[in-house]
Amino acid sequence: MKEDRVTRKQFAALILVSQLSPLLRLLPQTAVSFSGRAAWLSAVPALLPAALLRLGMESWRRYMRPGEGMGGLLLRWLGPVAGRAVLALYALWFLVYGGFILRSGAERLVSTIYPSSGQGMFAAVTIALCLVVALGPLRAAARTAVIMRTVLLAALGAVLILSVPNMDAKRLLPIGWREAASALPGALPLASVCGVGGCFVFLSGYAEEPKNARWFLGHILLLLALGGAICAAVVSVFGSALAATLTYPFFIMIRSISLGDLVPRIEAVVIAVWVGADFMLCSMLLRCAHEAIRAIFRLPDPDELPMTSLGGGRFLLWLEAAAVFAASLFFEKPPWELRLWSDRYIPLASDCVLYGGFLLLWLVTIPRRKKEKSKG
Amino acid sequence: MKRLLFILYVLLPAAFLSGCGASLAADRHDVERLLLIQTMGLDSRGDGVEMSVSTGLGAEDAPALVMSAPASGIEDAIARLQNYSPENQLFYAHVQYLLLGEEAARRELGHVIEWVDRSPTLRMDTNMLVVRGSARDAVVDTSEQSTDITQRLESMDRQARSTGWTVYTLREIAAALAEGNGALCLTIGTAPTDGNVFTEEMGSDAVVPVGYAMLGQEGLVDFLSPEESLGAEIITGDPTGLLITVAGSTLEILDCSVSVVPRFAPDGQPSGAHIRCTLQAGMLEKARDGAMNPEEMDAALSRTVSRWVSDALARSQAAGCDCLGIRDAVLTSSRDMALWEERWPELFPGLSLSAAVEGQVDRSYDLAQ
Repeated sequence: MKEDRVTRKQFAALILVSQLSPLLRLLPQTAVSFSGRAAWLSAVPALLPAALLRLGMESWRRYMRPGEGMGGLLLRWLGPVAGRAVLALYALWFLVYGGFILRSGAERLVSTIYPSSGQGMFAAVTIALCLVVALGPLRAAARTAVIMRTVLLAALGAVLILSVPNMDAKRLLPIGWREAASALPGALPLASVCGVGGCFVFLSGYAEEPKNARWFLGHILLLLALGGAICAAVVSVFGSALAATLTYPFFIMIRSISLGDLVPRIEAVVIAVWVGADFMLCSMLLRCAHEAIRAIFRLPDPDELPMTSLGGGRFLLWLEAAAVFAASLFFEKPPWELRLWSDRYIPLASDCVLYGGFLLLWLVTIPRRKKEKSKG
Repeated sequence: MKRLLFILYVLLPAAFLSGCGASLAADRHDVERLLLIQTMGLDSRGDGVEMSVSTGLGAEDAPALVMSAPASGIEDAIARLQNYSPENQLFYAHVQYLLLGEEAARRELGHVIEWVDRSPTLRMDTNMLVVRGSARDAVVDTSEQSTDITQRLESMDRQARSTGWTVYTLREIAAALAEGNGALCLTIGTAPTDGNVFTEEMGSDAVVPVGYAMLGQEGLVDFLSPEESLGAEIITGDPTGLLITVAGSTLEILDCSVSVVPRFAPDGQPSGAHIRCTLQAGMLEKARDGAMNPEEMDAALSRTVSRWVSDALARSQAAGCDCLGIRDAVLTSSRDMALWEERWPELFPGLSLSAAVEGQVDRSYDLAQ
């Protein structure tokens, strides 16, 4: 079906860049409020659920027909009615989540950098750019993600290195059994961040077949190491008690970095990280929603039509972008309430839909999988 | 046509991304119109505050702009100050020093920390100093044609750091307070230069460090005396370079290692702490009335510093403000850290704290044997 497929490396970059959005939104404040000074260890227990989710996703992949994707698989396994209902639910979630990403990204940018500006304009410009990405072929987005991954990881790495003079390792210690145990609840936000990668199973039909199921392990380890490093850096700079009370501790840490008199402030770097990651995640959620809707209406592959074409159901992408923008208006809430959505409701809903939903689907489809296995 | 429309569509967002449209970025200002505030002073005034700011010396030694405004709150003060400078935009992203007057340190500390957290411009790593008296006086009285408070603070900062004092940042203070500890903050005073400086700047005040302020959860608790401040610096900071006077001789601390040994009652409850300090000092200037022999000098150093440290401990304990890091040292050695952490405020005043200093004076080759 797709001759010029997204390579596994590009696909991994696409997932990683998108996951940086919830990573930077949730960390370190949620992990620190759950785990205190042991937040930097939360990455260890988060590895298990993250790896299991991805392993489950990869196991599904084996049952997909060439170029089929998750949508087609669910329709085949659950039947046209139940399959369509499940796909509609997932599409709805992707659109709502995309709306939330738009709004929370705009709020963060406005409250930290442009206090006199409106959030609506940021949201409108971002969704317009996301629509351009979603209209284009996925491989173009994936190639962009490879470049963005390098830039974003370099920026984050530079920030962590430049923060070293302000760090005090004593703030990370001592870690006894009690503190080690308290790292467990801090794993929840990290596992939630990793769970966002689950959305990409809807796009896996566009990607190359993996040689084995272990390809994603390095990518998960990198993401968790990054999460652990961000928590460690912030806790060692502010202490866990202060980090838990600050609004955006990672950003405040970056605001204090200067390269002597040459570059007194480098906040622009983190803005690039925030905006880039939010933009990529929102674009991909738009695309995932379209994949689910495409399967429901059995529409052709959007990558096989010109970018400007509205045929083959591509006009739906415009409507989906409008729906994401409309969803972002729903999240037009006071900052304290948006924070509550950001830290609690959205991660919880995301975990239910991705971890819970996939687990349920996995259980429901056991007989079907056994049947397909016996067929060979 | 479709292609052309599409290109226009793609280019459309670029018009909004330049960041220069006044309607999109209302806080955009031309660089040449920005006045960079470098020192900010805050005082409590009745139900409100008074904010004093200094821009620092401008290009080609243009005099600093020094302003002060009473207001109902910090943001109100900022708005009022802006009214005094209609041509230029006051820009607070490069504030180097935040001065709190005595009363503001007592009443506004928590409020200031919260405000900086919310502020899109100010840094948590801004140096914070408590002023003996009013911050307004410090900002206004030390500024003149060719020098201003920022320049004086920078000079004092360099001098203080090289002579062993620690200038704490707002972040360090906020972190210590958030952990439930107290915090130290360098206190400055102003000293008239009349009769001592014989140039055209004569008349403005100099800025000098006068010791540490003890900050608790509610704000300023008390000031340590200069000698207690030396004791506090020896326990908590890196006192290398600190100048001390022992038996009429001036010594410079060359090396210092401190260990806090916690003590526990049989039931596991923290009962006290013993501070052991090993000090190496170099003699810079002998006492004019003849120096002691090396052994006597070592003993005098140990005795004197031990008294300073003990006094600092006693003051901090009496004030109920653990600004010397005793809590962390004791609790990290405890098996029931979390249990004692909760009870620390009630435990601290009753703890038995002691100090022992072992001093050695170097550069003693010319001392009488």
